[in-house]
Amino acid sequence: MARIGFYRFRSILAIFLLSSFLISCASSANNRYFGKTQLPKDNVLRYISGSESESLDPHISSGQPEARIYGALFEGLVEYDPKTLQPIPSLAESWKVSPKVDEFIFNLRKNGKWSDGTPITANDFVYSFRRGFDPETASRTASLGYFIKYAEAFNGGQVFIERNGKFITQDDVAEAPAAPETPTPFGTETDTRRFLQSPDRLTIDGSPLKQAQTVEPDPKLKEFFKFTTADLKNAPSLANKIKSAGDPLTKYLSANIAPDALACATEAACSDAAKQTLADGLNKAADANWFFAQDWFAQVNWSPTAKKLADAVAAENKKRETANQKIDEEIAQMTDEAKIAEKAKTKKKPLGKLFYANRVWLEQSFPDELVPVSLVPVKGEDIGIEAVDDYTVRITLRQPAPFFLGLLTHQFFRLVPRHVIEKWGNDWTRPEHIVTNGSFKVKEHIPYDRLIVERDPNNWDAANVRLDGIEFYPVEEQATQLNLYKAGSVDAFLNHTVPASWVEEVRQYKDEYMNLPENATSYYSFNVTKPPFDNQKVRQAFSLAVNRESLAQFRKTSKPLYYQSPSGIFPDYDKAMAKVGEEIRQEKKISPEDWEKQKKQFNPELARKLLGEAGFPVQQSGNTFSCPAFPTDKVSLTFNTNESNRQIAEFVQAQWKQNIGITVPLQNMEFKTFLPHRNALQYQGMAISLWSGDYMDPYTFLGLQYGAQNDGGSGFQDATYDKMLDDANAELDPQKRYEKMARAEYYVLDKLPSMPLMITATNWMKKPYVKGLYPNPGTLFAWKFVYIERDPNKWDTDVENIMNVTDPQVEAQLKALKATMGE
Amino acid sequence: MLSFIIRRLLLIIPMALLVITLTWVLVRIAPGNFYTGEKKLPAAIEENIKKKYGLDKPWYQQYGIMLWNTVRGDFGNSLKYERETVNELIWRSFPYSAIIGLLAYILALAIGLTAGIIASLKQNSGFDYGSMSLAMLGLSVPNFVLGPILVLIFSLWLYWLPPARWSLSGIILPVITLSAIYAAYIARLTRAGMLEVLRSDYIRTARAKGLDEKTVLLRHAVRGGLIPVVSFTGPALAGLLAGTVVVEKVFAIPGLGNIFIQAVLNRDEPLILGIVAFLSILIMVFNLLVDISYGFLDPRIRYE
Repeated sequence: MARIGFYRFRSILAIFLLSSFLISCASSANNRYFGKTQLPKDNVLRYISGSESESLDPHISSGQPEARIYGALFEGLVEYDPKTLQPIPSLAESWKVSPKVDEFIFNLRKNGKWSDGTPITANDFVYSFRRGFDPETASRTASLGYFIKYAEAFNGGQVFIERNGKFITQDDVAEAPAAPETPTPFGTETDTRRFLQSPDRLTIDGSPLKQAQTVEPDPKLKEFFKFTTADLKNAPSLANKIKSAGDPLTKYLSANIAPDALACATEAACSDAAKQTLADGLNKAADANWFFAQDWFAQVNWSPTAKKLADAVAAENKKRETANQKIDEEIAQMTDEAKIAEKAKTKKKPLGKLFYANRVWLEQSFPDELVPVSLVPVKGEDIGIEAVDDYTVRITLRQPAPFFLGLLTHQFFRLVPRHVIEKWGNDWTRPEHIVTNGSFKVKEHIPYDRLIVERDPNNWDAANVRLDGIEFYPVEEQATQLNLYKAGSVDAFLNHTVPASWVEEVRQYKDEYMNLPENATSYYSFNVTKPPFDNQKVRQAFSLAVNRESLAQFRKTSKPLYYQSPSGIFPDYDKAMAKVGEEIRQEKKISPEDWEKQKKQFNPELARKLLGEAGFPVQQSGNTFSCPAFPTDKVSLTFNTNESNRQIAEFVQAQWKQNIGITVPLQNMEFKTFLPHRNALQYQGMAISLWSGDYMDPYTFLGLQYGAQNDGGSGFQDATYDKMLDDANAELDPQKRYEKMARAEYYVLDKLPSMPLMITATNWMKKPYVKGLYPNPGTLFAWKFVYIERDPNKWDTDVENIMNVTDPQVEAQLKALKATMGE
Repeated sequence: MLSFIIRRLLLIIPMALLVITLTWVLVRIAPGNFYTGEKKLPAAIEENIKKKYGLDKPWYQQYGIMLWNTVRGDFGNSLKYERETVNELIWRSFPYSAIIGLLAYILALAIGLTAGIIASLKQNSGFDYGSMSLAMLGLSVPNFVLGPILVLIFSLWLYWLPPARWSLSGIILPVITLSAIYAAYIARLTRAGMLEVLRSDYIRTARAKGLDEKTVLLRHAVRGGLIPVVSFTGPALAGLLAGTVVVEKVFAIPGLGNIFIQAVLNRDEPLILGIVAFLSILIMVFNLLVDISYGFLDPRIRYE
């Protein structure tokens, strides 16, 4: 036995020594380049694109890996600038923006073609946009385009309301209607434009219950649903029906309507006064609780709509009753008067009086006598996109959105081929059917293995597409990606992928490692709906106890984040932040040195003080702190299971322990379990969030805490903040708008619904011979600028500074493209 | 024999439906949805998606539709990769897994049986100790360790073989990685089985009858000695063919294991159900085959 043991030990030892020797060989950085660096034989780029693309339909998937593939296959009005990601001309040669920044006119180039040779016209854009918002397409990214007029209403299946030949407008129900504006001319006047420029129509939900819930609490809106004499299509017939009082409804009406009105049995006898009395009687009925109280109501001849409505109301009321019972039970156990009053407020009244529902029901009970309220579904034709002529597209927004042009580079706004989709339906993206319009077209697609695209000779800019093709490899494992790269099997791979254990090694290869800040932030959301983080001071204390600079040093691949939006991505906004910051500093009379320090958001002393003020005094013994009063059983830091998330959480946990003496328990969850948990605010205390900007404007970050249903994950809502952002977006001067936004940002930074942590970094690699592929803030590429440089003397060096180096080829190409823009 | 096979085949149907039902329940209990993403969806968009995929129907209707689809063998389109049907996805991925699995199986059998038989014949020799300690090592080194070490040596240091992705030379490393643990196990099982049989009475009888050593070994000893190996390798073959998550991930093989784990992470219900149905039938059929093969290997076993 001893011999076996010895043999085994020796063989294990031998393997161990061998492998550690190999590892040390493999990782020695004697060479200039990482692993094998050999020019590819063909003029084809081999790129690891991450997860297999969900779909080749740009309306369907929302992910970044797909965005890169769509960038090669599809074009839209505008394209990404390879370095700045600002919009540059694509199928639109040039464009004009209305003075109010709510209308855009795009002049299309006339030589745009699909990969099957079909010419591209303005109608293709109209079709694509309408398809994207069509509820049946069920696009997950459609909300990005809600800035387009009526797009949200169309996508959400909403309806316009027509009354007596007139549509109800927003102004009709606004508290203080704005003074009517005379539309300013912009481009050719058309019927579509007249419609879109007329006052905003009111839209309400398509479901009858939600309609009732919208109309009911709004007295101004309710006014529009009152019966008038104009609603009486056939007054004598109505009077006759009521007079003969057969069923409970007519009995009720005849009891409540003055007899002289019912006397108008013939057209001649029906005076205006009598009609008015009839209408008043119907209004009284519509406003009565009586209908829903009647049992027979469920048995009489129901119209399907009214039946659905009543069922929905019954279900809703049952739900409210159960919820109220639960609240009562909770109240019974409470002692604090103030809290009981607070809790009692959360109780909901049952929906008894349903004026709107009753009105619908009355209309249906007397179909020949009453003019129904017309609910006109919002259609694709109603949304703010128009083909003015074959080569002119006009987009109309519902509100000024200065960042909208940048949004148009997004995959959602790229063109899809009508003639192919109508022929093949959902199968249009199969390799044998697909027709594209980008620089490249599909050559071969084996899902999970490769997507090979080749230059499309039909593309209007084919002469300037530098690569013959791109091979996208869907590889998910980070280690495998790096192996493939090191072995020279691929030329570049996607962002955020160098494993943490490799960063130290890989960053030495300065000609290959791409590590610049991204248009993305990482932060911890506080659950502001639950104690103790409903207290602003506690939130601030936790944030101030974390040293972001050392966190960034620890992470190596990120930069510290001090605000809600990342600095260093939007240069003009950074200036605005500095300017507004200086104003605030002077208002608050803080010395410049203190302000500099305060900017870093790290002040353990203040953190301890704030905790004390919030009722959780921090005690000191020697160099260690403790905070026994803090309810650590009620908080935890929740994150989705992932090695780097854990490392960050443990680091931050240690900072809290060290600086405020609180040990926050960590909790991890599988990604798809975690997301609904966080979004429903079920987490205790804090949860990790990562946000990558949808477009190149800080609003994509500031909007995170905007409105009631925001994406911030904190449950935060603040009317002052919302107002500040609305004001900012209505500002037409870009720099002034940024300053207003900066004000809002400082405001929300003080409220602190979430605690900023890091600006993530691109963290990917490319071989030095790949040129025109930049570590831009979104890692999104305009592939036609990419090329393979055969001359080693011209290879990229020191890529940390690559954004400052001008590549003459790329610059010339950009200049030629922008030449069409004039100005 | 025939009635036994038919009975077992018929039993597969209710078993598969039970497995499918349990899987469906588990998928439904798991939080999150195929469209859940970092960005919260507006309620209207969620409604649109639910309507499009029939998720707005009551659960019993959805369950009924699902069962009917299962019986027909048509699971519809994948939710995440909606351009493809589940059947297409499975039938495209399965050959990749099957080729690698089959090669690994053959390699494992070749190495394992040879080493095991020789070791049993030369018990306590240097070869026995050497091969059995190597087998012990093979058993204790998991394939997510072995794979990367092989990649390190042959791809990143020697540049002999590609580190990943499907190609003729690219499948060498995954096959070796996958077969190692099976080869080791088979070697040990064979050795143990053979040692036991070699000591048994009927071998002694065979020798006493004066049969030459070759006949004793091949006609008598190996047949009996392999029973434990068969009961292990039958289900093992099913597992190998069905794809292994770790190896397919490490080597980026577009096989069944790879899409299965993705389907679960994506909450891609039809795809999960389709793969589970496929795998459960595959495994049950292989178990049946193993049971049948016992009859041929061991004269004591008879099926009625």
